Amino acid sequence: MRDSRIETVKVKSLESGVRWILKRTFFVDFIKGLMVTLGYNLSKGVTLRYPDEEKWIPYRRFRGVHTLNRDLDGRELCVACELCVKACPTRCITVVPMEDSTGKGISDRVAGVWKVDLVRCLFCGYCEDACPTTAVRLGRGYERACFDLSSAVLDKEKLLLPEEVPPDLDGGVIVAASFERTGAGMKVNADFTKLKGDWLKMQG
Amino acid sequence: MFETTVEVIIICIKVGVAGMVLFSLPIPLTWVERKVAGHIQVRLGPFRVGPHGILQPVADMVKMLLKEDVIPTKADKWLFMLAPIMTMVPAFAVFVAIPVGDKFTLPFIGKDITLYMSDMNVAVVYILAVSGLSIYGIIFGGWASNSKYAVMGGLRSAAQMISYEVAMSFAAVGVVMLSNSLSLVEIVKSQSGGLFHWNFLYLPVGPVWFMIFFIAGLAEVNRIPFDLPEDEGSLAAGYHVEYSGMRFAFFMLAEYIAMVTISVLAVIFFLGGWDDPTGVIPLPPILWFVGKVAAFIYLFMWIRFTLPRYRYDQLMTIGWKILIPVSLVCVLVTGLMRI
Repeated sequence: MRDSRIETVKVKSLESGVRWILKRTFFVDFIKGLMVTLGYNLSKGVTLRYPDEEKWIPYRRFRGVHTLNRDLDGRELCVACELCVKACPTRCITVVPMEDSTGKGISDRVAGVWKVDLVRCLFCGYCEDACPTTAVRLGRGYERACFDLSSAVLDKEKLLLPEEVPPDLDGGVIVAASFERTGAGMKVNADFTKLKGDWLKMQG
Repeated sequence: MFETTVEVIIICIKVGVAGMVLFSLPIPLTWVERKVAGHIQVRLGPFRVGPHGILQPVADMVKMLLKEDVIPTKADKWLFMLAPIMTMVPAFAVFVAIPVGDKFTLPFIGKDITLYMSDMNVAVVYILAVSGLSIYGIIFGGWASNSKYAVMGGLRSAAQMISYEVAMSFAAVGVVMLSNSLSLVEIVKSQSGGLFHWNFLYLPVGPVWFMIFFIAGLAEVNRIPFDLPEDEGSLAAGYHVEYSGMRFAFFMLAEYIAMVTISVLAVIFFLGGWDDPTGVIPLPPILWFVGKVAAFIYLFMWIRFTLPRYRYDQLMTIGWKILIPVSLVCVLVTGLMRI
């Protein structure tokens, strides 16, 4: 038992020796440790109760699922220039231009087909950099889990729908949410009016 | 004749109630333990089954019941099946001698009912003897499994329990010297009258006896930091590594009940049992008792998620080189103080 750590202590001076003995007699280190864990026990946890009760809303700079936008008059901004297709490193965007003079778009040339394969997409944001009319933007949607890969290809109709997160809501917050499981699939219903706190502050 | 029949019936009812409480106690305790663990580790703990995971132990129990009961081919089947029972029975038998309150009078009938099954005049000796028996189950479980991890867990447990049984008995000796009685009811009565009559505050030896008892108790019930017999890191699960299903649950049950026993004993020996520390708060004595025991159980869990496990040689060093010499000195000091 020569190496027993409890027994061998190098007493450098009388004072440190006395302190060593007192420390062990009154369990000073134990009590310090217990106080640390008690503090944690009483502190609020940082667990995000997603998706049952809470959901994190990303910042505006977040690069999530694509959106196609309209101008203030409701005309499609996309002019089907196909620059996003050229810029895309994974070639996940397909654009087929179409002539249209009904005023659906901001010019006579609109996208007949505009679809993005989210399985291939790496969310680099080059398409929004390339877009001359700010038609394509990476939005704040991130719940794309699915059972069937075909539902990972989004077409123009879906992309043109307004985003779920209201545009005036700054990101980086946690809102109340509920989880819905039906035969058709799963959905997280977020209530954007009920803010539950700042994400960064909750991380301490 | 009539009197005797009534007494027998009352004792049967008490045994039934105590048995049911003890059997169901581990159910909330596992939940509390996991919640404490979760919150200390800044998690939530069980949360999915029922509100705040309150039904988690029920789900666990159903799972345990449905699990296959595996007995290894090379195991000693008879001992293997006997071992969980042998751990569990002494854990329950201890409670025959444990009082949870003094007595109360039944309304309308005017009959006094005591809140203990028997007020043995040698209760301390009985408890130390019977709780020492539960080690047989652990050793048999380890041995009968025919697995090297299990047998090592069993042997560690034997060494640990025998070493710390000595220190714990010394602590009991100290209490007996302070209270002049071996009966638990008398020990509690001798501490009545508020905080400063408690054995814990019988300065200077009270706190020392308390610490000796508490440390030895931690080791007796195989809790961290002395859970060498079921050291996950080096022995997988120790003596119950080969057990599954309900037999494993019996071991866990016995372990939780042993924890309750040590808490109850610490409260009776040192914290005045059902005595009200202030003397002014009008709470029923049994609530004081339950509250103190609950605080102790929390302390056990709190320590479990704070301290690391001791090494085997450190365990032996603490037992033989620190606790036992300190208790010998303490016996001397207590004796001098009681002259």
